[in-house]
Amino acid sequence: MKRKNQRKKHKDDFFPKKIDELEQIMQSKFENNQDLTFTIYEQDKGQRAAVFFIQYMVDIDQVKEYLLDPFLSSQDAWSTPSLKNDIPIADQATENTLEGILKGLLVGKVYIYVEGEDEALSYFLLNKKHRQLSKAENESVVLGPQIAFTESLITNMNVVRWSIRSTDLVMEKMMIGHKYPREVCLVYVKSVANQTDVNTIRQRLEDLDVDDVEDSTILMQLFSDSSSSMFPQFYATELSDRFTHDVKQGRIGVLTENSPSGVIGPSTFFSFFESTEDMYMRWNIGSFLRLLRFIAIIFSIFITPLYIAAVTYHFEIIPTHELITIGKSRAVVPFPPLFEAMILEFLIELLREAGARLPTKIGETIGIVGGVIIGQAIVEAGLTSSILIIIVALSALSSYTVPNYMMGASIRIIRFPMMILAGLFGLIGIMYGACFLVIHLVKLQSLGRPYLAPVYPFRMKDLNKALFRLPLQFQNRRFLSFRPKEPYRYNRQEARRKHDVDK
Amino acid sequence: MDINLKVKQGLRIRAFYLFFIMSGIQIGVGVMGTPKYIFLDAQQDSWISVLMAYAAMLIVLWVMLLILKSYDNADILGIQVDIFGTWIGKLLGTVYMLYFAFVLLVVLVTYIDVVQLFIFPQINTWLLGFLLLSLVVYCVAGGLRSIVGVVFLFFILSHWLLLLLAKPISLIDISNYQPVWQASMIDLLKGAKSTTFTFTGFEIIFWIYPFIRNKNQVWRPIFLGATWSAGIILLNTLIVIGYFSATQARTIEWSVLSLFKIVELPFIARFDFIVVAEWMMITLPTMMLLMWAITQGMKRLYHVPKRITLYAAALIFLVVCGFIDEHHLIMALNNQANSIAFWIIFVYPLALLPIVKLKKAWQSRSKKGAKR
Repeated sequence: MKRKNQRKKHKDDFFPKKIDELEQIMQSKFENNQDLTFTIYEQDKGQRAAVFFIQYMVDIDQVKEYLLDPFLSSQDAWSTPSLKNDIPIADQATENTLEGILKGLLVGKVYIYVEGEDEALSYFLLNKKHRQLSKAENESVVLGPQIAFTESLITNMNVVRWSIRSTDLVMEKMMIGHKYPREVCLVYVKSVANQTDVNTIRQRLEDLDVDDVEDSTILMQLFSDSSSSMFPQFYATELSDRFTHDVKQGRIGVLTENSPSGVIGPSTFFSFFESTEDMYMRWNIGSFLRLLRFIAIIFSIFITPLYIAAVTYHFEIIPTHELITIGKSRAVVPFPPLFEAMILEFLIELLREAGARLPTKIGETIGIVGGVIIGQAIVEAGLTSSILIIIVALSALSSYTVPNYMMGASIRIIRFPMMILAGLFGLIGIMYGACFLVIHLVKLQSLGRPYLAPVYPFRMKDLNKALFRLPLQFQNRRFLSFRPKEPYRYNRQEARRKHDVDK
Repeated sequence: MDINLKVKQGLRIRAFYLFFIMSGIQIGVGVMGTPKYIFLDAQQDSWISVLMAYAAMLIVLWVMLLILKSYDNADILGIQVDIFGTWIGKLLGTVYMLYFAFVLLVVLVTYIDVVQLFIFPQINTWLLGFLLLSLVVYCVAGGLRSIVGVVFLFFILSHWLLLLLAKPISLIDISNYQPVWQASMIDLLKGAKSTTFTFTGFEIIFWIYPFIRNKNQVWRPIFLGATWSAGIILLNTLIVIGYFSATQARTIEWSVLSLFKIVELPFIARFDFIVVAEWMMITLPTMMLLMWAITQGMKRLYHVPKRITLYAAALIFLVVCGFIDEHHLIMALNNQANSIAFWIIFVYPLALLPIVKLKKAWQSRSKKGAKR
């Protein structure tokens, strides 16, 4: 009795309905669409039931084998409780609103409705087409797992689960986008990740009021701290090992349906220059590689502006015999150094962009044509000096050492304002640019955490995770700047203990 | 006005950074020229003058900390109001702020003058002023934490210049130091007084103290910071005396910068250009901290929002700096700053200490009396 009363309160309950009426409603919702399969079955006793689903969203074989066969061969009168028993699919639920049914149809559910019942039964028999797991193409590594995320969230979650086999791993799902909702998954290890950070990122995701999220990278821009900055504030990666490693160290990952990249936050400026390969290498080699990248970045940002500044204003700083060489090669060049460098840098950017847009095979040809033939022709035509070609090529090469594509792009773009500053104010301009960059980086935050950690706020114990690497017995701490719940990975004394000689 | 400040935990900084704040604000444009002025007074014994100034500075720092420690979490503005009453206290605070503004202006025009002297003789003063002030505004708008971060990073990014001094050190003529103790005590003291402008800046402790998180550990970073900047000034003075002859040391303007002219690498012939440009990283921390102190003072005394003070002050500095482009005028301003600073940073705290102590003693006695 009580239950009936409760039911009556919901006046807008969709069920019970006549089957014909239901069919009409469903067809009207899918007008001009032949997607919906709506079949009416009738039992001997005149009882009717409807099975409906969207054909290409469900696995037809499974529907036939596990749902329709037991359903039709059932000898009892159909009713929701009896069907629950007869159909051997675990993932079942009941639904009694039209909205819920429409949503369910779109994610691959099959519905059975027996005439006169209060609710429809739903079975989740998703058939999602996705790409096979493949090698990472955009972030290539020599050592370590090559597996890359795909566009399927389920597959990505499966990959992450396999790498972090712990009940502490939390994968919170939420829907984002009010018009075209999309699943977003928050991944973190609850015993390690900082609770404030988890709350912050959850809050930011929940507060998002957008119609649609196309990709993780767009989501990343939506919840970043500073939208005007040129630097990425979260690390987007397609490598699953990079993602899981950071999650294990206490950072928070975000996976998005239909996006092959995972987002990691909070991130520091230095984390964009570390590759998982540094860890797979021995520590001294890993440190060298990391150092090499930092030097490459500084080189890449400053070398062309320095050339411009020196040749335009301060030729005193170039030693005499080199000045003669530069003078000789610049003698025929009709442009001021700034334009000369701009033309070449522009050419390099053109080549990169063309190479990225074209199919791989043509892209290689473009590289050869651009690099070798145009380069040589430009020098011979006397448009730029040959020394500048070397400088620009070196700086472009250095900028490609950044493991993260977004950071690499930022570094390449920063060079242009630097070159203009150098062309306008010489060394003072370069210094101005450098100071501005430092101030900007100090002010930046990622998820409310300082971007330049551990250099500022300075934390000596974290330097070995950002600037260089130490042998494993010294790597027993997690990244303390982000205040993980468990600071230690393993016991330090244990790790450093050595057996006695000849034991 | 509250005498003690309430500072949120997230805005506080570790005492560790005081080292960088001290050396960041003290090593500035002063270092470039001071050795000459000390040399004018104390000849080859200039380095003794520097040591004397260093000792005096330590005493003053100790006195400053004594004053600050008699309060819970106060800065000099609050202390002055507490001791002299609202009107005189605010007046003194304003004078302090005007002094800071004056020092900032002197630093600004001096650096611009050096750039014009060494790199671009033709460049417009306003243009350079705009470049420098825009950086100051951009950083100070980020608050104290980003200022401290920038001071810290600029310290690290500029100290490689010390390595370049190896070359002039190798060319030092020992006989230039001899004979020692030739200068009279008066000359030595005069020389010590000429260093004042270089050493200015440590009064920022009076302002920044409430923002320190771990106050029981302040002395060590302050001491080390003062020692570091004194050490650098001492080093430069020693090199100038040893490297230049007496006539050169007396006449060469910006003698420290001239030291770098001899340095040469296979791919860079003249280092002084790079040094002058790099000196921007040494000058900016001074200007940023002073600008922060001005905004903080306006907020404390007159409740003006910091952003408004920041933009207004920057605009005023920009306009004014364009009119001060005569070298002799800038030198005169430097001397003026030197003598004003001497009274404000060396003499004033020493005078303030007994008053603070007396007042505190009187307060505690009257409290006891009330209890009885």
